Amino acid sequence: MDFTFAPEYVALRKMFREFAEEEVRPLAKTIDREHRVPHETLKKGAKIGLLGVPFPTKYGGMGAGETGYCIMMEEFGRVCTSTITNIGAHIGIGAMAIYLDGTEAQKNKYLTPLASGEKIAAFALTEPNAGSDAAAIRTRAVREGDSYFLDGSKIYITNGPIADIVSVFAVTDPSLGARGGVTAFIVETNWEGFKVGTLENKMGIRGSSTSELIFDNLRVPQENILGQTGLGFITAMKTLDLGRVSLGAGCLGGAQAALEAAMQWAKARNQFGASIAAKQSIQWMVADIACEIEALRSLVYRTAWMADSGQPFSREAAMCKLYGSEVASRTINKALQIHGSLGYSRDHPIERAWRDARISEIFEGTNEIQRTVIASELFKEIGVRVRS
Amino acid sequence: MKIVVAMKQVLDPRGFTVNRKAEKIFVNREEWITNPADLCALEAALALKDKLGAEVVVLSGGPARAGDALRDAWARGADRAIHLSDKAFSTADGCVAARILAKAIDKVGAVDLVVCGDRALDTGAGEVGPRLAEALGWPQVLGALDVSVQDGHAHAVKPDGAGYAELEVGLPALVTLAAGANQPRYPHGGRIMESYRQYQPEAWTAPDLGLSEDELKPLVDQRGQSFPPERQRGTLLDSPEELVRLLKRNRVI
Repeated sequence: MDFTFAPEYVALRKMFREFAEEEVRPLAKTIDREHRVPHETLKKGAKIGLLGVPFPTKYGGMGAGETGYCIMMEEFGRVCTSTITNIGAHIGIGAMAIYLDGTEAQKNKYLTPLASGEKIAAFALTEPNAGSDAAAIRTRAVREGDSYFLDGSKIYITNGPIADIVSVFAVTDPSLGARGGVTAFIVETNWEGFKVGTLENKMGIRGSSTSELIFDNLRVPQENILGQTGLGFITAMKTLDLGRVSLGAGCLGGAQAALEAAMQWAKARNQFGASIAAKQSIQWMVADIACEIEALRSLVYRTAWMADSGQPFSREAAMCKLYGSEVASRTINKALQIHGSLGYSRDHPIERAWRDARISEIFEGTNEIQRTVIASELFKEIGVRVRS
Repeated sequence: MKIVVAMKQVLDPRGFTVNRKAEKIFVNREEWITNPADLCALEAALALKDKLGAEVVVLSGGPARAGDALRDAWARGADRAIHLSDKAFSTADGCVAARILAKAIDKVGAVDLVVCGDRALDTGAGEVGPRLAEALGWPQVLGALDVSVQDGHAHAVKPDGAGYAELEVGLPALVTLAAGANQPRYPHGGRIMESYRQYQPEAWTAPDLGLSEDELKPLVDQRGQSFPPERQRGTLLDSPEELVRLLKRNRVI
């Protein structure tokens, strides 16, 4: 057993941290206030490969796999959750769906410009009546000759307003439901019939753009079917598995940054004639936070290693998402407590971190769904089917 | 054009604390970084490469960990990285280091320009640059903020009194760059991966450079070290009024 990172990952982490500290941290507050991640920052990152971390170099990616991608999400998660939400929707689910199930021609046409950051991706699964229950998708795709016509709408789509290419999930056969009836399509947002609807006014991750997408008799050529007709649900699940690992990594970064900030404050803050770091109440909070972070770190990178080495990792991915998001919320909450009133100030980064952390318990499959996935996989091992 | 960049690693200053009272350095986190001024020298070389086309060759001594600095330089865009790697180099002082580098530059051959940092963050001696230029018999500009090349000459801008001076030297020449002279580019992530998975820096030893044991004997030997006195903590004042009161009380105003 060897738990050390290969030297290329150590060097990669150094670069990610430097970029995050120099280019993103100074903007994090503005990103939150002005509700946008500056295009120039993304472009600067794209120049050094940040928008294609896990993809092979032959598609213009960095070739760093899920492990490298998790390292980036952790390092950027330390400074700005809005930024990792944008990058995560682009790499982790939008482009990832094309990488996992696209044909060679689709990868050359779509993945390459996405990995180089020339184009931005989004992933459109959620609908007003279909979130965790993906089988209730209403968006219809009707075949006419060698084309499909899409009608319907999607909501809460990260990168919706800025995406050039969207992986869209639509019903091709209503009689078959989620398994067999849903197909994935690669949609270019400049096609006729594609519209961006209302923007969400969110509590946190305010810099990431989230919107409704509307398809009005949108023609998609048959060659843009992603994966096989009727197997879109499987494409979605495979993609989300990888997204959940990196989501856990982003939470890890947020929790780690909160711990470091709380310790710096505990060292600086004097009460009753001594630094509050000397108080046992503070020490216990710090110790508890650190334990949870360490457990999460092991879980995230072990799961990333499983994914990179071709092992099944679906259950662990659900754990990364579930545990990661709850660790982030819990530890950032405690870290805010250590900061006292200062942490409640709109001007302090921990206030933003606290708001930003909450969404991770909800999106990319609620934590309730993750628990269901984990439990059903566990029961399956003893021959019990518990999934409805 | 062929440009050589000489660089070395230093201990990341964010990873240690200096206790002047106890006269001790506490290393909390041992991390090595490329000397910041050397990184500016690399950036200057890569900018010249972008503009005029050049082969950039990076040289570094040091133990195995120097490989990280060399790979980093390669990932940023250098064409060749050479590790001057020999146990006999480990005792080198400024004079011997310049001697080793001069031999290596000879071996690289047909070099037009050598750039390096004007001083290292750790020793702060700033002697390798000028000694190296002497060993090569080349003109030198020290502490430059910018360097460009035109018609067989290097033009270097450096601080001069209250302003700046532009100096011109015939090539081949050596220019040292000050830390902060420019903003070094980030290495490309894909090149970082490649630098470890596919690339291997070359390694040159003392025999490769034709250096004898005598030539590697340091001239300086360190007898001990001392620390500057501990600085007095200042007083934090709450208001400008308080400052005025204190200044009056101490009869400053």
